[in-house]
Amino acid sequence: MSVKLSDALLKSVEKPSRYTGNEWNSVIKDPKSVDIRFAFCFPDSYEVGMSHLGMKILYHLLNERNDCYCERVFAPWTDMEEKMRQNNIPLYGLESKDPIKDFDFVGFTLQYEMSFTNIINMLDLAGIPLTSDKRSDGDSFVCAGGPCAYNPEPLADIIDFFMMGEGEEIINEVMDAYAKWKGTGRTRQEFLEDIVKIEGIYVPAFYDVSYNEDGTIKSFVPKKPDYPVKIKKRIIKDMDKVYFPEKVIVPYTDIVHDRIMLEVFRGCTRGCRFCQAGFIYRPVREKSHKRLLELANKLEESSGYEEISLTSLSTSDYTELHELTTGLLEEMEEKKVNLSLPSLRIDSFSLDLMEKAQKVRKSGLTFAPEAGTQRLRDVINKGVTEEDLLNAVSLAFNGGWNGVKLYFMLGLPTETMEDVEGIADLAYKVVNAYKNVPREKKGKGLNVTVSTSSFVPKAFTPFQWEPQDSREVLNEKQMFLKSKIRSKQVTYNYHENRLSLLEAVFARGDRKTCKVLLKAWEMGCKFDSWGEHFKFDVWMKAFEDCGVDPYFYATRKRDYEELLPWDHIDIGVSKKYLISESKKALEGKVTPNCRVNCGGCGATIFDSGICGGN
Amino acid sequence: MTIIRVKFRRGDEVKFISHLDLMKVFERAIRRARLPIAYSQGFNPHPGMVFGLPLGVGVTSEAEYGDFEITDDGMSPQEFADRLNLQLPKGIEVLSAKKKMSKQNIMATIAASEYVVIVGTPAECSQKALKTAIDKYLSQEEIVVKKKTKNGVKDTDIRGMIFDLNFELQPCENFNIIRFTALVSAGSKANLKPDLLIESLCGYLGFEYEIDRIHRTKLFVRSQDQLLDPMEEVV
Repeated sequence: MSVKLSDALLKSVEKPSRYTGNEWNSVIKDPKSVDIRFAFCFPDSYEVGMSHLGMKILYHLLNERNDCYCERVFAPWTDMEEKMRQNNIPLYGLESKDPIKDFDFVGFTLQYEMSFTNIINMLDLAGIPLTSDKRSDGDSFVCAGGPCAYNPEPLADIIDFFMMGEGEEIINEVMDAYAKWKGTGRTRQEFLEDIVKIEGIYVPAFYDVSYNEDGTIKSFVPKKPDYPVKIKKRIIKDMDKVYFPEKVIVPYTDIVHDRIMLEVFRGCTRGCRFCQAGFIYRPVREKSHKRLLELANKLEESSGYEEISLTSLSTSDYTELHELTTGLLEEMEEKKVNLSLPSLRIDSFSLDLMEKAQKVRKSGLTFAPEAGTQRLRDVINKGVTEEDLLNAVSLAFNGGWNGVKLYFMLGLPTETMEDVEGIADLAYKVVNAYKNVPREKKGKGLNVTVSTSSFVPKAFTPFQWEPQDSREVLNEKQMFLKSKIRSKQVTYNYHENRLSLLEAVFARGDRKTCKVLLKAWEMGCKFDSWGEHFKFDVWMKAFEDCGVDPYFYATRKRDYEELLPWDHIDIGVSKKYLISESKKALEGKVTPNCRVNCGGCGATIFDSGICGGN
Repeated sequence: MTIIRVKFRRGDEVKFISHLDLMKVFERAIRRARLPIAYSQGFNPHPGMVFGLPLGVGVTSEAEYGDFEITDDGMSPQEFADRLNLQLPKGIEVLSAKKKMSKQNIMATIAASEYVVIVGTPAECSQKALKTAIDKYLSQEEIVVKKKTKNGVKDTDIRGMIFDLNFELQPCENFNIIRFTALVSAGSKANLKPDLLIESLCGYLGFEYEIDRIHRTKLFVRSQDQLLDPMEEVV
């Protein structure tokens, strides 16, 4: 029985079309015609979730199966949640409006630590027991994947099983196993026993964790000898052959990225030492420009979108960028489709491209030097020099651009006040670069925006052992930088560092942090990454009530010998490599781009991708 | 350059999307259908489309209109409609199409709109009593309501905006369902929203009520002091 959403209810909430479905290219099936029902849950709003490429891929991939019906579920905004609770409307799938409690799988994609309370809230709203030990035969299987699954431990009590690595590679195997299991009368436990044999599956309940007196992990042991000791991530080897939908859902209401997203490659060869994505998605695997042009045409035809964007971690690094962009510009011009080009390195080629690509508003260009001094940029292995930046902005200013955004991180390992001041110096050098451009060439009125976020150490990076600066130190650095920026042409924005503290806890949390999540949710926390809903004091109370010290996770320096909560996950990159990168960082030594020289990170075990120029 | 006027319906499936979002739905459907729509010149080209009076959120309609400028003068309105229909999402359907003859912009000429409003009320009422009461309501010289405008709430006399008001009473067990048909002013000069009319009327009658649904049945343009169906307007 599908849920009843009355007009009066829908009229009373903000943006009701978030909740009504029926968008172009959404898949409608007869639930009676399938064996498996899958609720693909995104633990944030419709606008954020619908912009996520992984969901677009896996939704259509699962629906390609005749035996499976995959539906979308987003976190209802608080006004809708209130109405749903008042009217006893359970969380439902957007396509059928059936309660997801009756689905076989409830799967979450974990994009961001601060969406974890929304997972709990969604399970509660669905009427599904919040922890795996409370679920029994007949309950949905709650699973998860995505970047935050690489440290699955903060959700260990909640999620029945994790899928490590790229979903396209693993999810069909799980569905096949389920199709075999369903209807046999075998138990829930037995299904988990079946799939734990699939490479990449992690069932937290199958492992025992013990702790040392100082609170660090003593041992992490499989409960049975045939459970894997190490869970190895799965990757797609051939990006040209991997499934990619030829149609995407075209929403009615505005979403964050309302356009065709063309994924040009996965991974990144740059090796910035703070960047988790740069390590967990190794090795770099590209799609050929021919395949991308083919996909672009099909997606344009099936969606009617007026814009295509290229996505990857660093699009400038794409081997066939020239062929791809020329091809796209040629084909899309007559169709009046715009090409948007995010994350390009600024050189004369890319500027020329941007000019051609579309109505680029010549105001905003974004650069991310990340640190204010060369010394610190070497520590983080950000392969950008001051000269690179100043050349790029001069080129842009000469081409009529007059707005520059500069992104930095505060609190990077080894950072001193000199490095912080370096951010202000760099901003002033950008202002000077503008002054040196002939008047007839430059746009009117320079606007430099400096934004800083706080460094959050993440699992599977060379900085995974590093402490996060305390909030006091971060505040001090923010205030100091503010005092150094006194030009009308430079604006300084900084992030809320209370949120960064929580990110740091859950990015490297162990199983003990799970009860804090449950407690914080119980006390009303959800949509934590949305400023208006973030309740820092409630969070602190939740830590206190659970007897968990957030600073143990956020601001503590780890030894290389310490058993880390995610050490049982194998991303291909070896711990040995991360240690050597960590040591090099502290010595200020850089590691070249993998395309130039293989650094021996270990990802060659996947036998694919761009490693050391092969 | 040819302008094709279409009449379309908006069903339950799409009644919660905004007017702005509806325009995007058409723009993308036109692209998918590869229809020869004309684009504006300049920095940010826009497809040549003009729609009639925006529909309120939650309201369905069988009388929506849009004018589309196309570059292929040989294309028949029927072909335009057929190709577009294949690409429109569930709930939006082109009902008819014709070449637009008049020079006037649809938006500017809209003058009246007919709605069916279904109201549920626990109030006791008979056909006769209700008829008398509504006649009395309409016989007032002025009917002042509080109307929300951009600059806050304003007292507005809506009597002149009500052209016709009929009803059908469908008694149920503990309450009555009244099906109102209202012809009211619409457009940029004077626009009366059907829910505001019902609020005023039920307030006058002293009825507790709940609107079950609102459906637009007709839209009229003014041409030389006559109300005309936008599909039938003459040069």
